Amino acid sequence: MANNFAMLLDGFQTAFTPTNLMFGLLGTFLGTLVGVLPGIGPALAIGLLLPITMTVNPTSALIMFAAIYYGAMYGGSTTSILLNTPGESGSVITALEGNKMAKAGRAGAALATAAIGSFVAGTIATLLLAFGAPAMAELALTIQPAGYLALIILAFATVGTLLGSSRIRGLVALSVGLVIGLIGADLQSGALRLTFGNLNAIDGIETVTVIVAIFALGEALYLASRHTLVPAQVLEIRGKAWMTKADFQRSWKPWLRGTAIGFPLGVVPAGGSEVPTFLSYGVEKALSKNKDEFGKGAIEGVAGPEAANNANAAGVLVPMLALGLPTSATAAVVLVAFQSFNIQPGPMLFQTNPEIVWGLIASLFIGNFLLLVLNLPLIRFWVLLLKIPSHYLYAGITTFALLGAYALNNSTFDLQVALAIGLLGFLFRRFGVPITPLIIGVILGPLAELYFKRALQISQGDWHILIAGGFPKVIYGLLFLVIIGPLVWNFKKKFAVKK
Amino acid sequence: MIFQKISKQGKGELAFAGSLFLLGVFVAWDTSKMDIPQDNSIISPQTFPYMVAAFASLVGLALIINILRGNYGVPDGDAPGDPFTPLNLRTMVIVSTAIALHVILLEIAGYIVAAIACFWGVAYGFGSRKPLKDLGISTVFALIVYFAFTQGLNINLPSGFFEGILSNGK
Repeated sequence: MANNFAMLLDGFQTAFTPTNLMFGLLGTFLGTLVGVLPGIGPALAIGLLLPITMTVNPTSALIMFAAIYYGAMYGGSTTSILLNTPGESGSVITALEGNKMAKAGRAGAALATAAIGSFVAGTIATLLLAFGAPAMAELALTIQPAGYLALIILAFATVGTLLGSSRIRGLVALSVGLVIGLIGADLQSGALRLTFGNLNAIDGIETVTVIVAIFALGEALYLASRHTLVPAQVLEIRGKAWMTKADFQRSWKPWLRGTAIGFPLGVVPAGGSEVPTFLSYGVEKALSKNKDEFGKGAIEGVAGPEAANNANAAGVLVPMLALGLPTSATAAVVLVAFQSFNIQPGPMLFQTNPEIVWGLIASLFIGNFLLLVLNLPLIRFWVLLLKIPSHYLYAGITTFALLGAYALNNSTFDLQVALAIGLLGFLFRRFGVPITPLIIGVILGPLAELYFKRALQISQGDWHILIAGGFPKVIYGLLFLVIIGPLVWNFKKKFAVKK
Repeated sequence: MIFQKISKQGKGELAFAGSLFLLGVFVAWDTSKMDIPQDNSIISPQTFPYMVAAFASLVGLALIINILRGNYGVPDGDAPGDPFTPLNLRTMVIVSTAIALHVILLEIAGYIVAAIACFWGVAYGFGSRKPLKDLGISTVFALIVYFAFTQGLNINLPSGFFEGILSNGK
């Protein structure tokens, strides 16, 4: 514990060098900028900005990513409140009450409670991350390959079935992701899979290409397919972006409750920020003295979910850093960012790259603080971004996404892949299939195979090893609950309706 | 099991689900044809792909059954029960053409031309009707991106026609 504290101080020293501080500042700015733009969530924001950091040293680049990560979250809430087009699933709930508040002329208070709540939640959650992640990494050192495989399968099940409205569609998305993950040469034998004799495909499909294409191109094509000439309306901010004492009194408890809900649900693989923000909203609605305000612009309905969203974002980093297992699309991109510098997150990270990981955690604190002091005063500048006509916006996003896909390897093949994945993204949206399970499949599929093979190599081919020992049994027990629980619930509901 | 009459929306989704099922079958077929360079590992490189293939075709099949029973997917951004939005094919074709143009033009004509074509085309597709103003904005966008990446970040982009003029005397 004391050791961690010393390491964190070292991290602050790393983060406070002028160069790194500048990259942190640039990251908060770029993250907010891209996050504010409607239709761009944090995952796409980081994916789009990935090529920019390719020429920077790893520590500075990852510090910038940490700042982009939090910045994109802040930016997203601004858009939800003022434009009612949430850029990511975690801000959907914010739009619910936040946009109503803005319509009632209380945009300033909504923005302020979102920003301060995000800061409070982000700071507490980052503190929990700083002490939780090393502890988890230490525990993880004892996990055998079979245990890892069990964890990945649990992540597949939760991400696949908890997201979106239809469980089967989540699993469909996961299976397509797993298939994409297969493409290329098998790591151990070099055997080629699904490459169709194309030399470019031997190294597999770039994850960043998949992310950028499925979010940016898929979304552009989907919006094109439903295009009508009705422009979205940006609501004005009257007065200062600040809140009254009464607003503050109504907000602080939801902030803390949101943090308490968001962080743990990020650490366990519960599939991104949709579930915690929804839960937080439900809790605030149930506890509020002003229940009748919900649905018409209740400040608690912005404060709680926004805090939950940010705490969740920090929570997701715990298994990402300590186990190397991303459980949200955004964490998946951060993992890719690490990998692009040949750094593999996982239990060894805190020992092999202490400077980078503690510098990153320290810069999360700094970024969080910078966002608070920069964003509320700059709010009018961010609002200008929302007034960009949507045709230029989508033109810019599309062109920049194609650039991102190309610039990674200077490869036209990647562009063709991006086009195909973009079409897939369109079909997914059209038929109500969630996107995140696909990304988790692409990233964790190859990892699942790796641990699967390692486990069976240890046991000389005896499949019993996969469920041997206490840890895998516990995880598979949880898996059973995740699958059976909702089925029992549905059955009970149906039964009750029939009666 | 009660199968319901399939609506027009259901037909499209059924085709989508069918192709996902076939994707699983296809992965199994591709795996069976796999060339295995050396066979000294305990676990064949085919085992995991077969598992993925089985999973993919199984969930594909489950989706088909789901649709046949009348459980259609809810398009992104719609609420369950919303009326079905018909496709705006015209906009879609323009936007996909613009994206495809970028891919084709990049190596032939260079980044700047490709980016101008793509930006202009997508803007037009999304309803902008000021072709000259758009051309100006596209050009400025393409030039800023090109120079920011090639000069600022040292990331190479195809210069195309402008080779020599823009390549900084290299």
